Amino acid sequence: MKLVTAILKPFKLDDVKNALQAHGITGMTVSEASGFGRQGGHTEVYRGAEYTVDLIPKIRLEILVDDDDADSVIGVVVKAASTGSIGDGKVWSTPVDQVVRVRTGERGVDAI
Amino acid sequence: MSTLYNRSSRLSRSNESDRQLTGLFLAAYEKWLGESGRTISGVALAAVGGYGRGELCPGSDLDILILHNGQFAAESLLGFVNALLYPIWDGATASSEVPRSLDHSVRTRNETRMAAHSDLKVAMGLLDIRLICGDATLVAAVQHDAIDDWHKDAQKRLPNLRAMLEHRHERAGELAFLLEPDLKEARGGLRDITALRAIAKTGVIDVALERINRADQVLSDIREALHGESKRFRDRLLFQEQDKVASALGYTDADEMMGAVAQSARDVDYLMTLTWHRFTHRGKDGLGRILRRPRTTMVARDISVAHHEVIIDIDAPFDDDPLLGLRAAKTAAQLGLPLSLDSCLLLSRSIKDGHGDIPNPWPRQAREDLVSLIGAGSAMVQVWEALDQEEIITRWLPEWAAVRSLPQRNVMHRHTVDRHMVETAVHAAAFTRSVHRPDLLLVAALFHDIGKGAGEDHSGRGARLIEPLARRIGFSEVDVETLRLLVHQHLLLSSTATRRDLGDPATIAAVLAIVPDLETLELLHALTVADGEATGSGAWSDWKATLVGDLVHRVRAAMSGSIVAQQPELNAEQRGFAEVGALRVNVAARESDYEIEIIAPDKPGLLSIIAGVLNLARLDVRSARTKSHGASAVMQWIVTLDPHAPIPTAAKLHRDIDGALHGQIDLDAKIRARMQTYARLPSIPVPPPRVEVFHQASMDSTVFEVRSHDRPGLLFHIGDAITRCRVDIRSTIVTTLGAEAIDTLYVTEIAGGSLTPARAEEVASRLTAMLG
Repeated sequence: MKLVTAILKPFKLDDVKNALQAHGITGMTVSEASGFGRQGGHTEVYRGAEYTVDLIPKIRLEILVDDDDADSVIGVVVKAASTGSIGDGKVWSTPVDQVVRVRTGERGVDAI
Repeated sequence: MSTLYNRSSRLSRSNESDRQLTGLFLAAYEKWLGESGRTISGVALAAVGGYGRGELCPGSDLDILILHNGQFAAESLLGFVNALLYPIWDGATASSEVPRSLDHSVRTRNETRMAAHSDLKVAMGLLDIRLICGDATLVAAVQHDAIDDWHKDAQKRLPNLRAMLEHRHERAGELAFLLEPDLKEARGGLRDITALRAIAKTGVIDVALERINRADQVLSDIREALHGESKRFRDRLLFQEQDKVASALGYTDADEMMGAVAQSARDVDYLMTLTWHRFTHRGKDGLGRILRRPRTTMVARDISVAHHEVIIDIDAPFDDDPLLGLRAAKTAAQLGLPLSLDSCLLLSRSIKDGHGDIPNPWPRQAREDLVSLIGAGSAMVQVWEALDQEEIITRWLPEWAAVRSLPQRNVMHRHTVDRHMVETAVHAAAFTRSVHRPDLLLVAALFHDIGKGAGEDHSGRGARLIEPLARRIGFSEVDVETLRLLVHQHLLLSSTATRRDLGDPATIAAVLAIVPDLETLELLHALTVADGEATGSGAWSDWKATLVGDLVHRVRAAMSGSIVAQQPELNAEQRGFAEVGALRVNVAARESDYEIEIIAPDKPGLLSIIAGVLNLARLDVRSARTKSHGASAVMQWIVTLDPHAPIPTAAKLHRDIDGALHGQIDLDAKIRARMQTYARLPSIPVPPPRVEVFHQASMDSTVFEVRSHDRPGLLFHIGDAITRCRVDIRSTIVTTLGAEAIDTLYVTEIAGGSLTPARAEEVASRLTAMLG
């Protein structure tokens, strides 16, 4: 099993959520995140006065998937989240040892 | 409503428990302590606490006290107690109605007294003691001790009781506003009702218990139904139980029941707040009775402060002064004091008798008083709650009735709809320096969710409702449109910021198409933040604030124009007289204020001199527009009278201004003396004042904008601070909105021309220091 984690632009959440649902993904965890990547913080000019946004608001998405599905899910997220501009975010996957559904006690792929 | 769960079912459960316990008591007595057929003496069984009152729910503890005279052998007494209690623990009673959870104690009269002395909960439980079976004289003696000691120790025990309640409230939260509240422990819950009864029994203060009879019944019925329907004897009303309980009690749905819970809790909490206020500020005779005439301070027309409460004078003309209630409410909120219960009752009775209806549209003064009331920050909540309890709010603002105690079964929200709007207004009060129209911000905050509860989009419905409401309150058509837009679009910024690409010009264009100008944008931004903060951490975070802030910056950058107030235009007649260079004063009475026109020879410090004279004449400046022309300054002032002020006349003002212009009056000393009188009144925390400089807003002047909480002599001191910088005020626009003042000053060097940035900074620093 794998945990797919994505850091995305907030306004892309609905698109990504809809694309994942269409792909058959039934559950995900969404949280608010802030950070910066290669583009650093950015500087805005407002009426002659510069102000710097150090940490940019992002959305963090986490989805547990079977090993075989990880690549296609990453593909779906990347496609739906892409605007082509800097700061679109990142998606990665990590191996997961065990998953248990608390209510039923089911383990492994059955618990996803 | 269902008859399954009510006072008589709880009483019948209590009576059944009495019967079972009596049987067990008699059998145990016969076996261990006495002889059959003889009168029982030296031992008794008593019910205390809720059981003492006959209020027994399925999951209640059986609170019992086994009293004895201390003369039985220890072994016999132990055998007797075991024989009495074990059948209950074992569930061996003949009726399943008898609770199996026991809270018992075995004590002599003296031991009981000592226990009550050291444990507040024991002392309170004993106030409801009643005999179940056995030696009645023992129970009567303990009852006498309990009530007697409660009276004697009240001064010491009530502060302890208050601390205990506050500790519990902190832990359990507020019953009125929680989504899954604990009916017993939460603030405004059943334990508070018991505490209020106990406070009443001290005799130290009057507690109007009749005000919470209905709340007691509602909450007790729901608790009993919760136990009965869930079969789990917990007092927390979880989401999953709410539908079942509501249906068992005959409510239409869970929302209706939660509305009843909220209303009941508010009734209880209101009485509790009032009771502690009265206890803290009771008369000095130690009994709470007022033995001498209380010291009263008049703070507004027909309104005084006495015993740290704002009271409406008993002989006030309720019938002829429809603004009396709003004035009293505003005064109380701005002083941070409660409005006395007696005054609320008088007001409510007068309104219900058909007197004191505010004219439609409201006069300016009424609107200003409403804005001052809701702009008082957290101090307004207790006043609003008192008015709402007496149904005065719904008489003034009938639209409020539909959202009163309306629950929001939504995990984002903490509060009922009405309380959420009040909380939003409280948060909005912190942003009154960030906007140019604090009055519109506060009114929009108070009514932004007024459209909820009808099953359609609440923003659209709210926009339809706010229009006639704002018009009735007396706002101009332009302001009505702004309020309509604010209510309709109060979710625009947060939904756009979180769901649209802020880097896309189309996103900014979409906002620009809805928000017409900078003034509306700053209002919408402040409303968004206040709404988010009032909703709770689930709906608002730094993350969201950053996104919304970013959106606002981008939209603002795309807007043009200025929000600085423009200099007034003079008419030909004013210009003509101004060129003469003489003093002229005209006074015209208007509906609820006076318009004063002053044309005076211009000189440095003129603004502060005139403002000082008006202040000494006890005239409260609501707005002013001044402009220098030729050798004179033309000034138009709108003022109201303070309660001690004589009617202003042109002749008297002419004389006073003339004297002041010629240095015959020491304005500074006189105003300082007046300030000391005001300083004795309580005050509320307000946002810090703000001074902003605009270099590009005028071709020949530097514009200063001063935003501050209004206070006596404010304009005098602003004018004075500027004059001390040796600069000239060319024009002034003074606006007071509720309790907030916005003063715009066009300033030049004495020789003419705008100030350099360094000079402007110096003036701004001096103004800030003076206001601080």
